[in-house]
Amino acid sequence: MENTANLTPARIDSIVLKTLTPANRTYWYTVALLFLGAVIGLCCWIYQIIVGIGVGGQNNPVAWGTYLINFVFWVGIAHSGTLISAILFLFRAGWRNPIARASETMTVFAVMTAGLFPLIHLGRVWLVYYMIPYPNQRNLWPNFTSPLMFDVVAISTYLTVSALFWYTGMIPDLATIRDRAVGTRKKIYTILSLGWTGQFDQWRHYVRGYLFFAALATPLVISVHSVVSWDFGLGIVPGWHSTIFAPYFVAGAIHSGLAMVLTLMIPMRKIFHYEEIITMKILESVAKTIILTGMIVGYAYLVESFIAWYSWNPVEREMFWWRIFGDYGIEYWIMTICNVFVPILLFFKKIRTSIKALFTISILINVGMWYERFVIIVGGPAHDFLPHAWGLYAPSMIEMGIMMGTFCMFFLLFLLFVKHMPSISMTEMKETLAHGGSDVHES
Amino acid sequence: MSTSRNYVMGLFKEESAVVSALEALKKSQWKLHRVHGPYPSEKILHALKFKKSKVGYFTLIGGITGLVTGFVVPIFTSVQWDLIVSGKPIIAPIPFFVVGYELTILFGVLGTVLGLLLNAGIPEFKSLTLYDERCSGEHFGIIAACDPGGESGLTSFFEEQGGEVRRFDETDSKQPTT
Repeated sequence: MENTANLTPARIDSIVLKTLTPANRTYWYTVALLFLGAVIGLCCWIYQIIVGIGVGGQNNPVAWGTYLINFVFWVGIAHSGTLISAILFLFRAGWRNPIARASETMTVFAVMTAGLFPLIHLGRVWLVYYMIPYPNQRNLWPNFTSPLMFDVVAISTYLTVSALFWYTGMIPDLATIRDRAVGTRKKIYTILSLGWTGQFDQWRHYVRGYLFFAALATPLVISVHSVVSWDFGLGIVPGWHSTIFAPYFVAGAIHSGLAMVLTLMIPMRKIFHYEEIITMKILESVAKTIILTGMIVGYAYLVESFIAWYSWNPVEREMFWWRIFGDYGIEYWIMTICNVFVPILLFFKKIRTSIKALFTISILINVGMWYERFVIIVGGPAHDFLPHAWGLYAPSMIEMGIMMGTFCMFFLLFLLFVKHMPSISMTEMKETLAHGGSDVHES
Repeated sequence: MSTSRNYVMGLFKEESAVVSALEALKKSQWKLHRVHGPYPSEKILHALKFKKSKVGYFTLIGGITGLVTGFVVPIFTSVQWDLIVSGKPIIAPIPFFVVGYELTILFGVLGTVLGLLLNAGIPEFKSLTLYDERCSGEHFGIIAACDPGGESGLTSFFEEQGGEVRRFDETDSKQPTT
């Protein structure tokens, strides 16, 4: 059990600032490895651009493969960062404070990673500007009634808002680092902190602005994954054309995001000796929220199948029967077991207070949520209305390379961040302490 | 008449000590210049009796601009090609609402950032000359102004209030008086 009683503002600064000291060789080896992985992914993308989009496994009838699966997966991962930083902020849930910064960081990098996939899937990526409504000779404009255009607007808004929210929250902490840095580092952090001095005349605007940020980010987080779900829900494809998709996707997004929070926080806590700040109580709170989201997701799976049965629509019925027992049945059961049954284990205190168990469960949920997107995105078009048009899909090596590269890019960015920027909000932690710190301290 | 002022900072670890020092300072001959702190203490904000921040107006104006833009752009672009497809309306309010909704949030946030920068006066680097680095750690700093020669009285005042004291020399204190 961590000793949190000795936590003081000075101690918080000392713990967090210690993470910014020069890294050891293991860190740089890991960075080099992840960089190599990202470069391999980039090479695969360049190969695809040169040879053509056909090097991927997408073909009739499944035109949306891993590129869209990963797009939805990463947008989903991003969601819990905003849940933790904005929604739990509005609810004054103090347990979010120690993990808010790292979760926001996860959000920003996850949206950046997600944003790459539509570009990759576009093929001729240099024509992406066609999506921008700019005056042009032929008077051609984007179709704003298309869910794909909704996506462009929603994802670019989400990236902008989450990046600004993240940076604004970091300004006072950057000033703390500036005040303890010397030489060039001091100059860099002085510029990054925008000359912040923590005057109360600044704080009063900051507090107000942060509140509005959180208030605006909250409806955004709900809308973004709803918009992503309408990419499918507005299509008439069986397995996609469902009114429950928006809440189903939002719950799934938060489920996967919380799991990723644990996947990132547990090693970070160990490596940077954050045990005093990211206490077991915090991890337990995340685990309890995962139980809730896991049950919502399980309910959505049930309702989806029930609607297919109750509708008496033969196409829908066939689709869901095939989904559960057909060619992708294994994927379906991986999804169900990992997302619904595995989180039930967290009901047991012994399991949710075991670091190893939490880490393992978080990985399993991540795997399960990836497969959920596989089952939905590939399953629908692979088995739609016309039996003679049914077909299967498997990702090609190029797709796998790109996928591996983007995973490496995400972890690389996160790793670089935690060593150069404050990965825990010192300001919010000091505020938590001033209010007694009961949200963080072990009971 | 000379307008030059000298500045002394009292540094406190406890919010309650800051609040009581501020109360005492109001009743004294010295003038409060500003207060620094590592986090936004509600007690201190309350004691300083600030007016309500105007950042919200920027958010509101940004949000309204976004909502209008989110409808005007799709409507304008749709009427450029008024070809009815499958009986669907050229101007379709429901899908356009999604664009309007997102842009309301986007412009609202951009307005908030602008409001924050303008109201909080950042980026600004001159204040760092009249600042103590402990104020981003665990201290709150009250800066008070006195006439030249009055520093020792102000120093004693802060010491009586239980604070540590930092005096700023004349080169530090070339700040506009408030």
